[in-house]
Amino acid sequence: MLRRIVDWIDERTHARDLYREQMIDYKVPKNLTFPYVFGVLALITFVIQIVSGIILIMYYKPVMAHAFDSVNYTIMKEISFGWLFRHIHAAGANFFLAIVYLHMFTGIYYNAYKKPRELVWMVGWVIYFTLLTTALTGYLLPWGQLSYWGTVVTTEIPASLADAPILKSIFAAIGETISIWMKGGYKLEDLALGRFFGLHVLLLPLVLLALVSVHLFLVRAAGISNPEGYEIDKKNEPEKLAPFHPYVTLKEGAVAMGYLALFFFFVFFNMSHFLPADNFEPADPLKTPPHIAPEWYLLGFYEVFRSIPSKFWGFVAFNLILILLLLLPFLDFSPFKSARRRPLFFIMFLVFLFSSMILTILGTMAPTPTNAQLGMFFTFLVFLFFLSLPVISFLEWGWYKARGGRS
Amino acid sequence: MNVWSAVKTVMFTGATLLFFFVIWIYNPFSPHEEYELPEEAEQIINDPKFAAEGRELFKQNCASCHSLRYDGIYLASVAAKPEWSKVEKTQGKPILEEKDGKLVVRGYFVPRDVYEAVAVQDLESLKATFGKVPPDLSTYYLARGPGYLYQFILDPGRVLPGTSMPKLFMPEYDKEATRKVAKIVAYMRSVSEPPPGEKAKRTLMGMVTIGYFLVMGVLIWIYRKRLLSKMGY
Repeated sequence: MLRRIVDWIDERTHARDLYREQMIDYKVPKNLTFPYVFGVLALITFVIQIVSGIILIMYYKPVMAHAFDSVNYTIMKEISFGWLFRHIHAAGANFFLAIVYLHMFTGIYYNAYKKPRELVWMVGWVIYFTLLTTALTGYLLPWGQLSYWGTVVTTEIPASLADAPILKSIFAAIGETISIWMKGGYKLEDLALGRFFGLHVLLLPLVLLALVSVHLFLVRAAGISNPEGYEIDKKNEPEKLAPFHPYVTLKEGAVAMGYLALFFFFVFFNMSHFLPADNFEPADPLKTPPHIAPEWYLLGFYEVFRSIPSKFWGFVAFNLILILLLLLPFLDFSPFKSARRRPLFFIMFLVFLFSSMILTILGTMAPTPTNAQLGMFFTFLVFLFFLSLPVISFLEWGWYKARGGRS
Repeated sequence: MNVWSAVKTVMFTGATLLFFFVIWIYNPFSPHEEYELPEEAEQIINDPKFAAEGRELFKQNCASCHSLRYDGIYLASVAAKPEWSKVEKTQGKPILEEKDGKLVVRGYFVPRDVYEAVAVQDLESLKATFGKVPPDLSTYYLARGPGYLYQFILDPGRVLPGTSMPKLFMPEYDKEATRKVAKIVAYMRSVSEPPPGEKAKRTLMGMVTIGYFLVMGVLIWIYRKRLLSKMGY
C-alpha cells in the first residue's frame, strides 16, 4: 500500500529521478578532508537556529518594559523547556559563526574561491555579512546591560567618520546619519528594539535562507573543490570520484552527530560564555558597564578599529578587511590552487590565520598602549596577507609558464 | 598520512581548540574581578535549605528599598498599599510552589510597567533619598555572582566606594551577621537557579542527549564502513 502511494507521488514529481541525479550520480572527490564537513555543519546549525528561534518568538516581547522579563522570567522560568530553547539559540549563534569562520578559513586554505567558484565565495561572503548583522540585531533583544551598551558602541562606530582628515563636516554628517538610522533616533529605545526584532526574526533569516539556497546551488553547479588543487577529469579519472551518497553523506552524518554531542555539551553544561553575567542586569542607559566589548566573532575587527589611533582610519581599516575578503578571488589570480601546492601562500595563510586569532584574543583584553601596539602589528600582518596575494600570484604565473603551462 | 600532513593536522587542530578554549571556556587575559567567599558562607549559599530563611531575611532587611519581582517580593511600602493585592491578582501571574504535594501560590509576578505605575511615588522617594532607584534584584545573583553579593551586602562601601547602599549587617555586634548575609545570597541563588530536582533532571537529560548523538555517530560510521567495503570503495 505504502509503495503504491510512493509510486503515485513519484509518477507526478519524479522525486526518485531527482534523488538519483542529485545524490548518487553526483560525484565528488574521494580525498575530501575533514574540514570539508564545516559546510554541512553550518547548514545544520542554521536549521537549529530557525527552529529554536521560532519557539522563542512565541514568548518574547519586543518592548522595553517587557523584553528583559520575557527572556529571563517567561522563557527561563515559566515555559516548559524555555530555558533549553534559549540555551540552544544562544549557543547556536556562537557555534554558527564559529563554523562559518572555520568554513571560510578552509575555503581560503584550499583556494575554493578560485575559478570556477568565485561566485560561491562571494555569495558566501554575503551570507557571512548577513549573519553578522543577524547576530548583532539578536544581541540587543534580551535588553540586558551588554545588549544595550554593545549595541550603543556598535551603532556609534559609523560616527567615527567625523574623525576624517579631510571633508570633516561631510563625513561627520554621513556618519551621524548612519548612526541615527541604525538606532532609530539619538537614543536606543522601543523604536530600535522593534526594528532590530523585525530584522532579526523576519527579514534577515529570509535573506539568509535565500542566500544559503543560492550558495548551495552554486556549489552544485561548480562542483566541490579538490583539496589537491586541480579539477578532476570525470571521464579519465573516475576512480578518484565517489557518489555523494553514501560516500559523503554518511561520513558527514557521523561527524554531524559528534558535532551535535559537542553542541549539546555546551547547551546543558557550559553556558556561562554564551549567556554572559553582565547581561542578566536589565539595560540601564545611565550606567555604563566597566568592560564593554562586542561578542567574540567581532573582536578581531574591533581590535583593528580600536588599536589604530585615528578613529576614521580604524573604521576604514576594518571595513577594508571585509572588502578585501570579498575580493579574494581577484586578488589571488595564481594559476595554482590549494595551499598544499603553494608554499608561499601557505606561509601567508598561517600569518593571516594566527593574526586573526591573536587580534580576537587581544580584543578581549583591556585597552592598554601595549595592546594597541600589538593590535596595530597584527593588523599590519592581516593586510600583508591580502597585499601578498597579487605578488605571490605574479610569481606563480612565472613558475606556471616555466613549467610549460602545467599546474 | 605522511609526516608533513600529520604536522599540519596537529597544528591546525591544536590552534583551533586552543583558540576556542580561550574564547569560550577560560580566558586568562580578559579583565575580571574576583571576590573572596569564606568557606562557611559558600556552604550556606550552596545549600538550598537556607533559601526559605534567606527569603524572610530579605523581606525584613532588603525589601524596604529593593524588590525581587521574580519571586513576588515588592517594596514593603508598595506591598502595604490596600490596592496592591488586587493589582497582584488582576495584573500578575501566580508563582507556584509545591508544599506537601500540593501546588500553592507563593506570590505574584507583576509586569514591570504595571508595578512601576503603582509604585511611582515610592520609587521617586527612594530616588530622592539615594540618588537612584535601588534595582530589582531578581537576576542579580546571575549578574554578580555569590562572592560579589556576599561581600557587597556585608560591606557595600568597601566593594563599591561611594555607593548609597547602607551597611545593614555588623559582624562586630551581631555574631550571626555573616551567616545572615550568606542566607540572603542563598535565597537569591534559589530564585535564579532551578531547584535541585530540576537541576538533576537537566543533567540527566544532557547526558542522555550527548550519549545518544555519540552512539549514533559511531553507528553511522560503522554502517558506512561496511557499506563502502561492500561497494568496493
